[in-house]
Amino acid sequence: MVEVLQQILNGLTIGGVYVLIALGLTTVFGILGISHFAHGSISMFGGYVVFYLVTQQGMPLAFACLAAMGAGFVLGIAVERLAYRPVRDASPINAFIVALGLTMIAEGANLQLFGADQIVIPTNLQSVFRIGALTLTELRFYIILLTAGLILAMTLYIQRSKTGYAIRALAQNRNAAILMGVNVSRITMLVFAMSSMLGVAAAVMIGALFAIAPGVGEGLAIKGFSVLILGGLGSIPGAIVGGLILGVTEALAAGFLSSAYKDVIAFLVMIIVLLVRPQGLLGKHS
Amino acid sequence: MLEVRDLRAGYGTIEVLHGISFEVKAGECVALIGANGSGKTSTLKAICGLLPVRAGSVTFEGERIDRLAGHVIVERGIAMCPEGRQVFPEMTVVENLRIGAYARKDAEQESDIAAMQDLFPILRERAQQDAGKLSGGEQEMLAIARALMARPKLCIFDEPSLGLAPKIVAEVEATIARIKARGITTLLVEQNSAMALRLADRVYLYESGEIVLTGTSAELRDDPAIARAYLGE
Repeated sequence: MVEVLQQILNGLTIGGVYVLIALGLTTVFGILGISHFAHGSISMFGGYVVFYLVTQQGMPLAFACLAAMGAGFVLGIAVERLAYRPVRDASPINAFIVALGLTMIAEGANLQLFGADQIVIPTNLQSVFRIGALTLTELRFYIILLTAGLILAMTLYIQRSKTGYAIRALAQNRNAAILMGVNVSRITMLVFAMSSMLGVAAAVMIGALFAIAPGVGEGLAIKGFSVLILGGLGSIPGAIVGGLILGVTEALAAGFLSSAYKDVIAFLVMIIVLLVRPQGLLGKHS
Repeated sequence: MLEVRDLRAGYGTIEVLHGISFEVKAGECVALIGANGSGKTSTLKAICGLLPVRAGSVTFEGERIDRLAGHVIVERGIAMCPEGRQVFPEMTVVENLRIGAYARKDAEQESDIAAMQDLFPILRERAQQDAGKLSGGEQEMLAIARALMARPKLCIFDEPSLGLAPKIVAEVEATIARIKARGITTLLVEQNSAMALRLADRVYLYESGEIVLTGTSAELRDDPAIARAYLGE
């Protein structure tokens, strides 16, 4: 029983990271119907930047994170303006191809700039907390805290703020949103900016918890889309529930079977859920 | 207040508006009537910036608005209650009302929500329900209230009676009459010509993308030839 709880705790850590990635993907998908595959690789760029700032420039981790999230915000705007806006009114296949090309560009740029070696973002969080029979490293504790904070902030922003209203309205009915006075270009840009910012935060956590290497970003995008499909495309609660379920299933599979099978089990759970609920756990449209 | 001159617009290679001209004066209620597919809704979309204007002009309060983005036109003071209601289904009734005031920057938005709920008590009763769960008639009331939340100078209604039960249609008609009585300038598109003729001061009759007839409601109503030919009576 202790072992189960321990794995669930581990799963919540990585699940929270998946949620951060999925929140970005789901808001972009909700508004534009675009599958933004490059999200993972672009986020990883932010992770590399943090590594560079911390190890080469001696910047404190917290400042490096803020700087990289700021860079992610700007990068998100650039991606929308330069890559996706030109194909906004074209057939969806164009945006799809742009997304694939963008993934290659981002992966290539990461490789050229930061090399092929795997890197781990150094933290000096070494202590281990004990809660009854459970153990939690300081690093994981802060990651859980930070992801919870970011998820809560993003959810409140979308539910309560005026811009959040515009984001939801745009996702539900584009023309009606314009008739309310919603500036589609501005909101779209903002959504990309916020998504990339959350993505960078997730990449830093991956880099500190495991490692960043070529291909990790693409893997993360695939996990992110799995979460979306599991939770329901375009649904924000779905992204949160789906991300946590994927994280916990992976951890349980890794703990009780073998870490080699964790992806297999995670995708098996996804397939079973989709057989019962093809629209995803919290998806509204079938 | 609103002046449309030689307006041409269309979809792809097909032109659906072949030079439309009409005007709406301040305080007036003008109706565009005509058969399905004659270009009434396309005219409204072109005015609101949802359909590009290919030729001609749209002038609002003396300024050209035909090249402006949709959201800027809303800021100028034109609100539309679109065809098929188009409420935001996964937002609550109150949230729908709140976003109706999106273009406003004053501090009276919350009190306007209460005012709308006084006008439409059902919107208070169902305040926290998702708009998608309301009946068609309730959604129409919400869509009208949402448009009014913008405090528009010109309020446009696109087929407000479409798909509603006769009893609800009468309610919609009474509501628009009340809005008109408040002095809000209104532009109404209706297939229900009888209702349009009762509400409007002046009427323009559409036929395949052109205006073929215009006059006051009384003139059109009292002309038996017109009534037979165009109004299906």
